[in-house]
This record gives sequence, C-alpha cells and structure tokens, in this order.
Amino acid sequence: MTATFVAPTTLADVLAAMAAGARPVAGGTDLVVGARQGKKPLPQSLVAIHQLDELRAITLTTTGVRMGALVSHEQIIADATIRATYPALADASAIVGSHATRAHGTLGGNVMTASPAMDTGSPLLCFGATAILQSASGTRSVPMDELWTGPGRTVAEPHELLVAIDLPALAPGTSSCYVRLEYRRQMEIAIVGAGAQVTIVDGVITDARVAMTAVSATIRRIAAAERALVGTSGDRAAADAAGAAVSEACAPISDVRGSADYRRAMVGVIARRAIEAAVMRANGGTVPIPASPALHGAS
Amino acid sequence: MSILQHEVAQADYVRSDGHGKVTGSGQYTADLSFTGQAVAKFRYADHSHARVLRVDVSKARALPGVYAVITHDDVPEVKYGGMVQDRYLFAKDIVRFEGEIIAAVAAMNDEIAKLAVSLIEVDYEPLPAISDFVASMDPSSALIHEDWETDSRADELGSNRNTLGYSTIVKGDADAAMAKADHIVTGRYTTDPVQGVPIEPRAVIAQWQGNKVTIWSSTQVPYAARAGVATTLQIPQSDVRIVVPLLGGGFGAKCDFHFEGHIAALARAAKRPVKLVFTRHEEFFAIGHRREGMLIELETGVMNDGTLVARRARLVLDKGAYCGEGGFFAQMAAMHACGPYVIDTVNVHSFLNYSNNQPSSSIRAPTAPQVCWALEQHMDAIAKTIGMDPVALRMKTLIEEGAEGPTRQVFDYIGMKDSLTKAVEMIGYGQTLPDDEAIGIACGWWPCFAVESGAYFKLNHDGTGTIVTGAQENGTGSVMAMPKFVAEELGMDPKDISILYQDTDAAPWDMGSSGSQTTFNSVRAVLAAAAEVREQLLDAAAEALEAAREDLELVGGAVSVKGTPSKAVTIAELAAAGTFHGKGSGPLPESPAVQAEGCVGRLGMESFLAPQVFTHAVRVKVDRDTGVVRIVQVAAAHDSGAVLNPIGANGQVYGGVVMGIGQALSEGTILDKDGKQRNPGLLDYKLVTCSDAPPIDIAWVGRFTPDAGPRGSKGIGEPPSVPTAGAIANAIANVIGSPVCSLPMTPERVWETIQGAAL
Repeated sequence: MTATFVAPTTLADVLAAMAAGARPVAGGTDLVVGARQGKKPLPQSLVAIHQLDELRAITLTTTGVRMGALVSHEQIIADATIRATYPALADASAIVGSHATRAHGTLGGNVMTASPAMDTGSPLLCFGATAILQSASGTRSVPMDELWTGPGRTVAEPHELLVAIDLPALAPGTSSCYVRLEYRRQMEIAIVGAGAQVTIVDGVITDARVAMTAVSATIRRIAAAERALVGTSGDRAAADAAGAAVSEACAPISDVRGSADYRRAMVGVIARRAIEAAVMRANGGTVPIPASPALHGAS
Repeated sequence: MSILQHEVAQADYVRSDGHGKVTGSGQYTADLSFTGQAVAKFRYADHSHARVLRVDVSKARALPGVYAVITHDDVPEVKYGGMVQDRYLFAKDIVRFEGEIIAAVAAMNDEIAKLAVSLIEVDYEPLPAISDFVASMDPSSALIHEDWETDSRADELGSNRNTLGYSTIVKGDADAAMAKADHIVTGRYTTDPVQGVPIEPRAVIAQWQGNKVTIWSSTQVPYAARAGVATTLQIPQSDVRIVVPLLGGGFGAKCDFHFEGHIAALARAAKRPVKLVFTRHEEFFAIGHRREGMLIELETGVMNDGTLVARRARLVLDKGAYCGEGGFFAQMAAMHACGPYVIDTVNVHSFLNYSNNQPSSSIRAPTAPQVCWALEQHMDAIAKTIGMDPVALRMKTLIEEGAEGPTRQVFDYIGMKDSLTKAVEMIGYGQTLPDDEAIGIACGWWPCFAVESGAYFKLNHDGTGTIVTGAQENGTGSVMAMPKFVAEELGMDPKDISILYQDTDAAPWDMGSSGSQTTFNSVRAVLAAAAEVREQLLDAAAEALEAAREDLELVGGAVSVKGTPSKAVTIAELAAAGTFHGKGSGPLPESPAVQAEGCVGRLGMESFLAPQVFTHAVRVKVDRDTGVVRIVQVAAAHDSGAVLNPIGANGQVYGGVVMGIGQALSEGTILDKDGKQRNPGLLDYKLVTCSDAPPIDIAWVGRFTPDAGPRGSKGIGEPPSVPTAGAIANAIANVIGSPVCSLPMTPERVWETIQGAAL
C-alpha cells in the first residue's frame, strides 16, 4: 500500500478522506513522536487537519464555551475566559510537555490520543464536557466520561473526527484546579494528576467533581471523594477525607516511573492539593496558573 | 542582569564556531551526505548473556537494496580495548550485554536496512545474566570472560576472574588507629548507572579511496578512534583519517573508539560510503559507555575534636561487559573515597567488576560524583556524631599547603579551604530558612593529567594566521579560545587567526576532549608553536627595522621598537615576504612525588597533579509530602589555578552544576534482572531542563599555579559535575533529618526516607 498524505482546506474534504480510510493528524506531537519511538507506526494514509481554521476558535455559546479541536495549548493558556471560568484546563494546558508541545499540540489531539496520562482529561471530566464527533454521515455528541474506553482507545468510529469540545456553563460559585506530581518543571509526563471542581454556595460545597490522571486505564472521576466534599466547607479536613477516599479508590501499578505504594500515597496528596486550590479559587482567592509549581511543598 | 547578559558583557571575543551552531548553518556529522552513500544498521544481541550458536545472514544479503552484511567472519580476529583487550567488533561466540553487535547491514535506505536486520537469523544458548556486579566477584560466580587469563591486559590491574581491576590505598595502620578512635562512623551508599546524554546522537560516515579510509565521526577522541580502526582492521594508522565535523556534546560518552571500525569495514564491503546515525534509543542502550553504578561502604574513626584518624572503605564498581577506556576506575574511586582531607591512616579497597550490564567508561569526572556524594554525606554524619558544625569539621580537616594526602603526597598552595570559605559566604550559610529549606555543602578534588600534545602555527601571506591542533572541541570552547591566546602572544587580533582542527591527518596526536586536558595540554603546545613564530618575527623585524631584537615588541599587528611606535613593520608586511611557521609541544608538568608503597593497583592516579579543588553549597526546598526536591540556589567556588578564559570557565560551572542536579535528583538508568535498560529514552530517563536550573553564583579562588597548565592554569571541565549531588544530599538530609543513601535521590526515594524516619 502506498503511503498517502492530504491536507484539505475544508472539513467536508477531511471527512471524505477519513471515510476513505485516512487517519487525522493535527499537531503531530503524539502521533509522530510515538512513531519515532516505535510505539505505533504512522498510519499509511494521513489527512492533515491543520488548515481547518474553523476548528481553531474558542467561542462563547448559549450553553457555555465551544473549543475547536485544533485549539492549541498555548491558546488555552492565553484565553481570558478559560482562565477565569475553567482554570483547571489552563492549569493542565500550561504544563503539557514543553514550549514546543504546547505551541503545536492541540486539545483535540490530546483528548483523542486517549492516554491515561493526558493532562487535559481530568479538567474536562470535571467540567462535564461533551465531545462533538463528526463524520461524512453525521454528527453526534458524546459525554466526556463515555469517550475513553482504554489506553489509546475511544468510542469514536475510525471515520469520525473530533471537531469540538463543548464546556457547559458553570453555576455561580464554581471553580476548579488541576495539579500534577512533577519531578521536573518541563517535559514532564503525569505520574499522578488530579482535577477538582467545586461549587460553593454560602460557604458550603453543593457540587464536587474529582478526577484522577495516570492511575488507571482511563482518566476517571472518584465518586467517593466527591461525596466526601459535598456538604462541607472544603476545609483541610474535608480535603484530607477526599484525598483518603481517592487513595482508597485507586489501585495504581508499579513501573519505571514509580511504585504502586508511592503512587497510592501521592494520589491522596495531589488530589487534596487540587481540591484545596479549587476551593480557594471558588471562594475568590488566587492560585497562580499553572497551579502545580505554585503548590510545591504545600502541606 | 541575566547570566547570559552578564557573560556577553564580559566576553572579549566571539568563538568562531558560534555563528554556525546558533543559526543552524554549521554541519554536524549527521548533516553530511555523500554520493551513493548507504545507510548502516546494526543487529544487536537479543540477550544480555548468551552463547551464539549460529548466525545466518543469507536472507538479509539476498534482499534487494542491501549492499553488504558483515559479521565477525568478515573482519580480522582482533580483540581491542584500553587496559584490557577483551572485545571484538562483532560478537564472536558470546554476547555479554544487550547492546552487543552481531552484524552490520549497509542498504539503500533506512527501511530496507531495518528489514534486512530483522532477516538475520541468530540462534543462541541463553546463559544466566549476571547483572549484580557485587555478586559477580563471588568466587562461585560464572565468568563473564571465560578467557580472562589470556586476554592482554595491563599487569598493574590486579585482575581476578570477574574483577577487572583491584586497587588499594593504604597509609599507616588503619585498624589500629580505628581501635583508638573516640567514635567510629559508618555509611553504606549505592548509586545507579548514569548516561552522558549528549544532545547530538552519534554518527559515523566512512569512505574508502583505494587503501585509505576517511571517517567522519562524532567522537571526542579522534586519535583514539584512528588507533581503534587501525588495530581492528589491521591497517596502518597512516591509512586512516578521522575528521570530526562540529561535535554536539559528549560529556565523556563519545570518548573511546566505538563504531568507526564497524562502519569502515561495512563501507569497504559495500564498496560505497556508509553512514550510521544513532536513534535516541540506541544512544542509550547500544553505546557501551555510561557512568558506573557503585556500592560504597565507608568507615571513619574520628576524635572528639574532629581529627580524622582512620578511614576504611570498600568500593565495588560496575564495569559492565567490557573494559573500554575505563580500566583505571578502581584506583580513581579509591582516591575519592579519601577525598581532599587529612586522614592519619587509610585502608581503602576498590573493585572494578565485570557484569552483563552496559559497559561503563568515562563520563565527566568518572567515579568522582558518586563517591563524592557518598563521602560528603559521610562527612556530615561524622560532624553530627561529634556534635560539630559540618563546615567547621571540613575547615579543620581539608588539605592545605604542606598537608599530606592519602598517598603521602605533600601539597603546595591549594585553594581548598578558600573554596569552602567562599562557597559558604555566597550561599549565606547559617541564615534562618523556612522549615522546608536547608543548605548543604560538599567539597571535592580532581587531578590534572599531563599528556603529550603537539601543534603548529603558521602565518599566511596576508598576515593572518592558522593554528593546526589535534585538540577536539567538545562544545566547551577550549579549542575556540586558542586564537585568543595566540593573539596575545603575537600582538595580533584573534579574529585574524583561524583553526584547523579535528582532522587526524593535519595535526600531531592529541588525547582529545577528555580529562579536562585541552587547555592544560593542547594550549601548551599551541603556545609553544606560537612562541617559535614570535622568534621568527622578531628576527625578521630586527633585520627589516635595523634594530636590536631585544628592543622590539609585538603590538597591534606589528613589530615595533619599544617607545617608538612609528618605527614598526606590520606582521602582514613581514608575512608577505617570508615563511613563518612554528611547531611545539611544551614541557610536560611533572607528577608530584608520593609514597604509596602499601598500595596495589597503581595506575598513576595515586599522585594528583595540580589538583583542582572545589566546594559547592546548595540551598534546596523539599516537598515533604511528595519527596520532590527543588534547587533554590547554588554557590560554586573553584580553584582551577589562573583562569585564562572566564566565559569558558564559567560555562563549565553552569553546565556542570545543572548536570550535577540531574545526577542528584532524577538521572538513573533502571535495569531489569538481566541488565537490560528499562528507561532507554528521554521520556523516562529524566534530564533536568533549563527551567529547573537555579541561580548559580561562581567564585574563582585559584591563583597562578607552578608546574601546571599554561600560564599557571589547571583544568576545569570535569570538576563542576563532581560535588553538586553531595551538597544537595546534605541539604536534603538537613531538611528531612535523615540521609538518602541511594543515588539518584528521586522523589520516591526521598519520600521513602521520610516515611522510614517517621516510623
């Protein structure tokens, strides 16, 4: 089979190429690096989507915010709406890979690579975001918690392209944070990451979301931790209880990046820090973006 | 002012390779291409220890687009290696580590070469892999080299079975002194192997013309590479020319002869130029050259006043599968287990053992960072035991002028204590810090190596000049600084002096970029060559000006009569009318006397010529919940003698400190039980990044040093990588209350230490 590469300028042409068997490439920061590392060969037939400028926008909608699939991490970091309303996503985007990764890598690519270690996943789960999948034959919405089915796997059909991610409008008093355990300040991959979102009404948490990165086959929310927070003020005791619930709920593995024992201890610490920072933000306080470096040593 | 702005403001010349490197127009080996060139790929061992029963390359050879496939059968049966000749180019009957080469393929392109490699059939009888380099010295252990007794080797090594090298340092009766000590302090430390990780992966291109082969190679040591090719292919050195295009770093990993022989043999078989470029994965597992893992056991007898009366130590070093150029490690490590301290009695035993791990060889200051890391933690433990401040203990026990070292070498002026004083002052030792921060210090030493070198200097007819040197520019700027020194000798502008370098056909032999020796030895030779030209210019000018030679001076591109600048002849005028060329080597400094009668395994390191001595002080911040350590500030004080080129010297310290932070906190090759690497790539072998680099303050406390390098200088390339890990270790222990006894001190290991201390 001959290798083919096309770079259409319209979405219709991209979808037609995908219907004919081509696989999409956006920033290439996972696809190309993975191929060079020998993880997975490049697809024989590639359709580049970088010319679809309509997928590059962050747009306010009647129901929230629509993020085009080609929105880069740098765009997210610089976007005032995301920083103010969905800060966990800015926290995560600001610590993905290196400067080069953030300039080239896209939100859509990060989501559809479906790595359990991806940084933007936990924030999107916490927001209750929705993936918009489009193909030559139609469009469908998939809630983020149904999108990933395993490492590198999603419910998307081969001919479906992620075109956008919809973030719902958030209730007043809501804020969020994403924290990652970082051995170094750049070029890091999540060993443990945690996203947290809380809604605080009159000093009481009425809704809580906690999602964990890199400790199971897919990024997932931890219901027990969320339950531990609702009805509390989100103080240290509540955050500790939620952190303990996360440790209880996670069964991490041992590998070259860390032992299971260490990871299990760290999920509680990192979750607790994410929760505390989200609470502080929801209460009007300031935690710098990205939160992870600022929270080094936070006890 | 940023570090960069500061350095640029100080710079008085711009290195001539800078523009090409910064703009991308400069050419590294992998950038070169030749008409008709083939691509080389290696078939590596599928086991880390196995007997090779059958190698069948017929299917690979038959693949269209394959020009040659070669194995051990296609090259002379010659073993090579440094102090021990224990290795063949291609595996003969045993493979001893996972990167061992079975065969090499030359093909039309990458894809065909890869396919051909996969078509080579190899049958093995797997043998038990011996990854545990401490267990490998057990008399019952299977042999890594069954014919170790017949391999050619240096007699002084004290080899025995899997122990390649054995070295002791013995001074007085340590056992008796230990028995009388007020306290005995012990420590046990282990270190993981570490990689050099130059950013440029290695590349080799070979092209034959008749019986002569030219090899472009990313090597730090072109003359060693030439000798390796000549030995393994059994051809004269005069038929081998090694050219090094721009070199993208080495850190020692590109020392030694590595793949030039394989590619030369392959190019001869393929009858066309052949090019090898390593992937990052190969750059980790296949290079046979990394920093050695160690077991370090230290025991010190100390009196209540801090006097060190006895040091016993046992060191076990992982040599990996082959000797390479690292045969001297046992003795070097033993010297670092003593350190730059006055100790009444010493009894150190050091073992360098074969294993089925990747071979270890020189990485920037081989053996020193690990042993220094252990010894300096041990010094802090001693201070704690006797209730003495760690700085005070060191100030009492460090060597100084007139002091006697572990081999009874007596030192001239040495800035050891000055470096401690200065580092402590720069870091603000004793200040009140937040409870998750602390300061640690570490001291260390490293010798200079006096080696032959030779150089030419010639004037061109327009009055410009050209240096011809065998020295290798590793990125440090030590070769790039040569025009500055020659210009100072001859009153010329450095911009008018070019350099012909990194071509073994052009210049006399040079040891290459290793052992912190380029300025120390190669500049000595260049200055000697320039001095000859200076004499020739004075002779010619004396005649032209009808003046006495002793009345002349070389200033501003001319030779003029002192005090009468109008009476002058320009160097360009003289050069146009005559032939001006010089050669030189310069006198070798002499190694200091020692009385090391009790020592075995003497390979020359029992005497430290012109020791480079230094102290680093580091302030850290420890995240107690996660074990993650951040470096807040580093202060580095060094005695490197007279500093000839501040921008280059400072650059070595900045880089060495950052490399040391990596060694301290995150860099370690993780091996499985068979000695295969589990993290052979940059995702999971974690270098520190620019973003992790702290503010680094530097002080030079040295002065003109007699019997050393040119103009009273010592070396500087290796020392900055030595004491940083030890200083960080002591700082961490000062925060968490316990030492971390495994290197690297990863977040998990720091966290485990905190958990252990809390039990």
